[in-house]
Amino acid sequence: MTLKWWAYNEPSGSFTAAADRCTKASNGRYRIDFNPLGNDPDTQRQSLVRRLAAKDSSIDMMSMDVIWTAEFAEADWIKAWPKKYADQVKQGTLEGPLKTATYNGKLYAAPANSNTQLLWYRKDLVKNPPKTWNDMIDQALKLKQAGTIEIQGAQYEGTTVWFNSLIQSAGGNILAAPDKAGLEPAPTQKALQVMKRLATSKAADPSLENQKEDQNRLAFEQGDAAFQVNYPFIYPSAKAGNPKVFKQIGWTVYPRVDPDKKARPPIGGFNWGVGAYTKHPTEAFEAASCLRNEENQRGFALDGGLPPTLSKLYDDPKFVKQYPFADEIRTSLKNAAVRPETPLYADVSLAIYKTVSPPGAIGNVKAMAKTLQDRVKLALQSKGLL
Amino acid sequence: MSAAAESVAAREGKDEAKAPKPRLTERARADRKLGWMLCAPAVIVMLAVTAYPILYAVYLSLLRADLRFPGQREFIGLSNYGTVLSSKLWWADVLHTTVIAGVSVALELVIGMGLALLLHRVVVGRGLVRTSALIPYGIVTVVAAFAWRLAFSGSEGGFVPKALGIADPLTSTWQTYLVVIFAEVWKTTPFMALLLLAGLALVNDDLLEAAKVDGASAWQRFWRITVPLMKPAILVALLFRALDAFRIFDSVYIIGQNGTNPKIETVSVLGYNQLLNRLNLGLGSAVSVLVFIMVIAIAVLFVKGLGTSPAAGGDE
Amino acid sequence: MSGRKDVPKWVALNTVVLIAALFPVFWILMLSLKTPADVLDGRLIPSKFSFDNYTTIFEQNVFTKALINSLGIAVIATLIAIVLAAMAAYAIARLDFPGKGLILGAALAIAMFPPISIVGPLFNMWRSLNLFDTWPGLIIPYLTFALPLAIYVMSAFFREIPWELEQAAQVDGATPAVAFRKVMLPLAAPAVFTTAILVFIFCWNDFVFAVSLTSTSRAQTVPAAISQFPGASQFQSPVGSIAAAAVIVTIPIVIIVLIFQRRIVAGLTSGAVKG
Repeated sequence: MTLKWWAYNEPSGSFTAAADRCTKASNGRYRIDFNPLGNDPDTQRQSLVRRLAAKDSSIDMMSMDVIWTAEFAEADWIKAWPKKYADQVKQGTLEGPLKTATYNGKLYAAPANSNTQLLWYRKDLVKNPPKTWNDMIDQALKLKQAGTIEIQGAQYEGTTVWFNSLIQSAGGNILAAPDKAGLEPAPTQKALQVMKRLATSKAADPSLENQKEDQNRLAFEQGDAAFQVNYPFIYPSAKAGNPKVFKQIGWTVYPRVDPDKKARPPIGGFNWGVGAYTKHPTEAFEAASCLRNEENQRGFALDGGLPPTLSKLYDDPKFVKQYPFADEIRTSLKNAAVRPETPLYADVSLAIYKTVSPPGAIGNVKAMAKTLQDRVKLALQSKGLL
Repeated sequence: MSAAAESVAAREGKDEAKAPKPRLTERARADRKLGWMLCAPAVIVMLAVTAYPILYAVYLSLLRADLRFPGQREFIGLSNYGTVLSSKLWWADVLHTTVIAGVSVALELVIGMGLALLLHRVVVGRGLVRTSALIPYGIVTVVAAFAWRLAFSGSEGGFVPKALGIADPLTSTWQTYLVVIFAEVWKTTPFMALLLLAGLALVNDDLLEAAKVDGASAWQRFWRITVPLMKPAILVALLFRALDAFRIFDSVYIIGQNGTNPKIETVSVLGYNQLLNRLNLGLGSAVSVLVFIMVIAIAVLFVKGLGTSPAAGGDE
Repeated sequence: MSGRKDVPKWVALNTVVLIAALFPVFWILMLSLKTPADVLDGRLIPSKFSFDNYTTIFEQNVFTKALINSLGIAVIATLIAIVLAAMAAYAIARLDFPGKGLILGAALAIAMFPPISIVGPLFNMWRSLNLFDTWPGLIIPYLTFALPLAIYVMSAFFREIPWELEQAAQVDGATPAVAFRKVMLPLAAPAVFTTAILVFIFCWNDFVFAVSLTSTSRAQTVPAAISQFPGASQFQSPVGSIAAAAVIVTIPIVIIVLIFQRRIVAGLTSGAVKG
């Protein structure tokens, strides 16, 4: 039989390679057919949700962005994992990624690859990498050239990611419970204050309010910035694109908000889910489990640059050689700030990024914190046009 | 839609005025039956796919129906309408839609009239001009929208920002408006020109010659003879284009929602986002029904208020 | 008549129209011929020409399948629309029956319908009927919205046809069938043909329905596919591919318009402008 796997087409081909490996491993019982989805998560989600709502049985396995778990689970679009396969998956998997695949205490997907942001900086311009956001801004302001911090500030998911990490680093939370708004005044205001200070200072990139990950990468790669808060994809890109700058790239973990509270870095990545209307659930679970096993995750990491979710791979010498920051990634994933787990995540995120972006317009931090809380409350009631 | 409307329906009027009271001969009865039978398939398809869904949309709009919460359907009356009508986003979008529609149609009228005059009178290279005027009509709207977006986008290799030395226009709301309007006007002016051309072709040349002999200037001839005689055609063209412009989707979706910053949304795009991205069928249907009502309102306004008669035309 | 001395004026005006109409097409063509590395360089004319973007889009199945979908769906919808509309137009042009005006009025009303108002219900209905992401799922709405256009254009044309010729042929001894085939069909052909072109352009062009009622290469048409083109990586935009796809999809239209411009103009002005 054929199992259809829907995922974005990872450019290095590591996904299709995994599909082939797992087909062979099934010893003839099934064949995994790779079907590409669009490249950005929004397009992928659009495509998947409509078909799942249409009870499409041709979706056996699918790649799910970490923030879709709650939504898909609540809508009965994916199956919960039976104990046998769930236990397999949980073994050796890092905490952060595992959390993103869980909803209501059940495992709904198998973490396949993860992602987090590090603080990248120019070793020739910065002698002591900063530990907190305020430190970083202070340092940037003192620099005579390239005194800029690159971070995502456009009205899109990436800015919610930033805000979420800030508020969790400050000890707060966007949601107190899947259906209750958190956003207590103190941590919220601290988070907003960081965003506001950065955005209104000379250390901000002039296009901050329109920047996404790729714009940040480009600016840093071209040598226009001293700091960058971004995903590891910037590293191989700089290696190929600007060897001079590449040689000067240093890295450290995500900046803290409070000097004594550990930072809670962002966590992204993809999990493999099993479609609720599949005609071959047992084989689908088996295949999905295989598609993220050690061998395949090694392939994703070495060929595709996607950080693994299995802890032991971070000690693999080949991986460490290509990604000298492997340990920082692992630590980050251990402390990661998982984004709010609610089926209404899309609405909550929209409410947040439409409010806090452009960060230069945040204004009175107290008032803004209250506005944010109100809007998230509305979003949780599924009210309001967004 | 074209001036076909005018000529066909106008001739209907004439026919019916001439025909005597039906005596319903064998022939007439057979004709009737045949007529209905021939029309039936087309009518059935048209009604089934529009009437039923719009009624279904009204029904859905009265429910709390969100496909992400399949277990939670309930009748909530007009609550969805309340949400929509009290939402700032809705009214902002109505404004966006009206501005874009209004400005586009105005520009199309003026430029279209010029183009119609050219197509009517051109002596040299008629075929060439016609072809080039028709190409915007034939091009896939999405393609045209992309061409305009990619030309103006600072982040996607557009040559305009570089050539004019300005910052990325697509990050500023009013500039994105302009780009959307340019794209719309470019795309549909030919159609408008053709609608007007049909009306132009019916303006009697002799009248114009006589006026010329009497010493009227080209400008005077245009405003005193051509335009008044074209008034019905102009109104029909305006009606069709206004309704069309109000439903605008493609260009706004491609240009105004380019992902970096969704800057512009019209009511149709809003409906789409609610229905197909948020899968909130209740709210989305409420938006759809409201859009439907507004379109009808515009049509009524034109027909009753301005005396546009899709059934009358330059024929009289 | 505006004499020969005015030729430079006409040439000038024509040139303006030409440039205005064709410039965006020229731009997208130039964009598509840039090398993938240069695609974001902001120049009008590429510094280096290359066909890389074209090879890329054909390597990925997505575009090829989308072309097939667009073509198949548009052709089928056009054929069915022509048949249904021809019947109705014939009746309207030749026969006398009550309700004619009503039908034309209804057709007009439907042409003005905002598609977004039925997209939601259609999506829901297609979901249950298993028509989501299928060819029929698109063909049906296309039919519905193409029929008014087709009926109007064809009935306008049919009104111009001298039907007496058919009777004359029969009087001359031809059977009704032969009369129809040898006399009527050739006279009706231009009308049908022109209408087919207009309907095809309409279907080829549609975006709203395509993007709402399809989601995979099973039925996704080109406009929808272009708007969702994958880029080189998760974070990069597919400008080169979009441009190349845009050009490919425009070529048939340009050819059609070039060859049939007279017919198209005649059709859209319901015969008021013939040549």
